[in-house]
Amino acid sequence: MNPTLVHIAQQAAFGGIAAAGFGVLFNFGRTALLWCAASGAMALAARTTILNAGWNLESASLVASAAVTACTVGLLRRQLGTSAPAVAVAGCIPMIPGAFFAKALLEMFDLTRAHPVNPEALLVASTISSLHVVLTVFAIGAGVALPVQLLRGREF
Amino acid sequence: MTPPAPPPDAYASHRHRDLEQIAIASLACARMLMESGSRAMTVHECCRLIATGLGVEIMGIRVGYASITVTLKSGGNTITRMVTVRRHGMDHRLNQAIRHLVVAISHSGTPPNEILAQLDALVATSPRYPLGIVVAAVGLACTAFGGLLGVDRLAFLPILLAGGTGQFVRHTLLAFGVNPYVAIITTAFTAAFLCGGLAHLAGSETVNLAAIASTLLLVPGITATNAQADILDGLPTMGSARAVSMLMIMVFITTGIFAAQGVLGLLP
Repeated sequence: MNPTLVHIAQQAAFGGIAAAGFGVLFNFGRTALLWCAASGAMALAARTTILNAGWNLESASLVASAAVTACTVGLLRRQLGTSAPAVAVAGCIPMIPGAFFAKALLEMFDLTRAHPVNPEALLVASTISSLHVVLTVFAIGAGVALPVQLLRGREF
Repeated sequence: MTPPAPPPDAYASHRHRDLEQIAIASLACARMLMESGSRAMTVHECCRLIATGLGVEIMGIRVGYASITVTLKSGGNTITRMVTVRRHGMDHRLNQAIRHLVVAISHSGTPPNEILAQLDALVATSPRYPLGIVVAAVGLACTAFGGLLGVDRLAFLPILLAGGTGQFVRHTLLAFGVNPYVAIITTAFTAAFLCGGLAHLAGSETVNLAAIASTLLLVPGITATNAQADILDGLPTMGSARAVSMLMIMVFITTGIFAAQGVLGLLP
């Protein structure tokens, strides 16, 4: 089997499970949980495909979150009603780069030790990690918020 | 659903004490929406729907991170009331139930005391998953996060156990009224310590990543997206407050992981 497809399927499965887990934590109903899992799987599959195409993490996260939100809000409004944006958010949460943030802060902790080893390299590394975090979180947020603004209905 | 327009003389018929009851009822609904994960514009809309449904005019609403203020007007009478917002969280089913209640009020003009009674009943009876299911689901979610981060297979079981334990610890601390940030750092330390120790014993090569994955239940995803939604809705103060809260949560998570890794001797 094509290893690229296997990798995408694996990422989609992990994304679906993570999104459904967050759905339980956020107290979604059982039907909505299935949609959370589907949106998480779609988000990770889309992001992995785009990353494989050579895009960077930020752009891939933006496109994936926008695609998932547009599908959820645009196509599932009848089934989900006002829950649609929340389902999209749960699907996009597995894309939040928590590891990059932890890495950035750990590098900053290292940098502020009494005698840091190679402080210039640490500073560059922590800055790069921080930029990844900030830009990716903004990309995901924008990817969720813009379709919601454009496609939302008038219902409360 | 669009609420019906109030009758032409509706704005001239409320006494001060009636206005106060309407303000209290609308603020109670608004607060519960805020605490169950709504963005600020939804809270604005909630107050507007209840006020117009009960035939009064909204002069102003201020939705802050820690409080909500509403000013109502009826004829020559005005009243301003404020409510404190407690812990921000996410409870989707309760949130949806309150929205349905607000829409029903906007159509039926339910009296304020009845609104409060119905709201209390909703909060008391809103369905929630048993703690065991939430703990298991969070453990699985953290394990999936671990898979996304690229941990090896030996780390999966430690992440599952530590993520679930972390959720149990967080739930217990919050139930006892512990400060949310203290709960976050305690949870992050517990999950990272447990996961790091178990993954090390299991012979995993990705102990640090596994420790991070076990704390990802704490990632403030709703806060992050609500912050941007509020800014896009033209409420930058609220969005900034949420962003600062998100930053603080991430700092506390990282400090917990850092402390656990230090205790386990995993730091460089």
